[in-house]
Amino acid sequence: MEQAENNKTGTMGELARDAQGQLRQGLLEEIGRLKRFSNRGLWALSLFLLLSTVAWRDFWFLPRPQEVVASLGAAPKPLMISLVLVLYTFSAIILSLSRMMAGLRHPSSFCHVGYLAGFYLFYYFAEALQDNYWAVFGAGFTILCLESYRIWTFCSDQIGKRSEQLAFLERNGRMPPEEDEDSLYD
Amino acid sequence: MFDKIAGRALVPVGIVVTGFLVVCFVLLYAAIKQVVIRDSITQANNLAGIVLKSTRYAMMKSDAELNRAIIRNISAQNGVQHVRIFNKKGVVAFSSKPEEVNRQVDKKAEGCVVCHEKAVPITTLGTMQKARTFKNASGDEILAITAPIYNEAECANAACHFHPAEQRVLGTLDIGLSQEATLHSLALIRMQMLIFSILTLFLTIAGVITLLKMIVLVPMRKLQEYTERSEEGNGTARPPHLPYELDKIAQSYYFIRAKLNEIEQKPFQGPKNDPICQHK
Repeated sequence: MEQAENNKTGTMGELARDAQGQLRQGLLEEIGRLKRFSNRGLWALSLFLLLSTVAWRDFWFLPRPQEVVASLGAAPKPLMISLVLVLYTFSAIILSLSRMMAGLRHPSSFCHVGYLAGFYLFYYFAEALQDNYWAVFGAGFTILCLESYRIWTFCSDQIGKRSEQLAFLERNGRMPPEEDEDSLYD
Repeated sequence: MFDKIAGRALVPVGIVVTGFLVVCFVLLYAAIKQVVIRDSITQANNLAGIVLKSTRYAMMKSDAELNRAIIRNISAQNGVQHVRIFNKKGVVAFSSKPEEVNRQVDKKAEGCVVCHEKAVPITTLGTMQKARTFKNASGDEILAITAPIYNEAECANAACHFHPAEQRVLGTLDIGLSQEATLHSLALIRMQMLIFSILTLFLTIAGVITLLKMIVLVPMRKLQEYTERSEEGNGTARPPHLPYELDKIAQSYYFIRAKLNEIEQKPFQGPKNDPICQHK
């Protein structure tokens, strides 16, 4: 009877240790994921720099603008593209700042590289890339730096929080009481 | 830098303001440059028209000497780099540089290829299509206009020499103008815009830093110093006057600290036979 009691206690202890190990493993994995995620902005920025290098060399592998215009019709006027670029830059900055303020986990960096590639191509087909190259480059660099900064600060905060939870788990064998997620940003 | 409020707050502001200003600067300059260049092409086209009108009478009379004098006088004008008149075969009939006369020009050369790219040459060109830019031997930027000399009723019916009426173009006028003044104006505009942008950037960042420091950073430092002093000295000094919500935080901290001190100073009077206090 006593042995059965001891076995029961032993099993309970093992279960608790297993649960603690799982929690610990979960937190470590989450920290690893956050560390990888924090580099996302930098990857997007690197991709944009690569795209800008290609644009700087005037998209040598693409057909000449005249050929494309002959088959697809006239490209939008450079002034129109510039207006859209200003509007896009403004909106992207506001959106990024709003996400920063709300502390959202939003992985949006790579889609910006796509939009910026579109601007490079539109200017190329309108034969105005030479005059407006630095505008697209400046817009892309600003937006992607801001996005990188947002993602990096978000991940740093979350890693700090998870590290505290891990330290609490190591000390007390249980997770700390749940905190309101938005409390930092209210 | 990033573990302090100042770093966290100022980096995004710096990135956003600088980046947006750079984008607006480049786009605005590109738009202004386009307008200035379009205007200079229009003016060059007008000048080509004046030259054609001036030489018309001499051509009608087939007065080569008068044509040469007109071209010589026009090319003496400041900013005019060259004036040439080609005949239908692409041979230089008149030029401001006498050594060019009677030379054949390649139809694939820049300025000619615009019309002669296809088997049947184009006879009408838009204002912008007539213009081309290049650098001459001394490295100066030149804007050249190639204007066709059209056959008119007086030319086809003139007694002195005969052009068939079906011949649409009799020759071309090629006039080159120095772009020095235009480029100088653009450089001036660029410099003024750059100074304006740098000043705006500087003022915006300085304004944000000043306000942030005045309203947040300095009071935060005072609050931090006050709390640290209270902790070290274990005293209950009145908090300094701080702006806005920080004052309320400092007051709350002061009252909590005072309460704690009061509790700590009171002798402990626990209930008798309190099991909690019966430590072994």
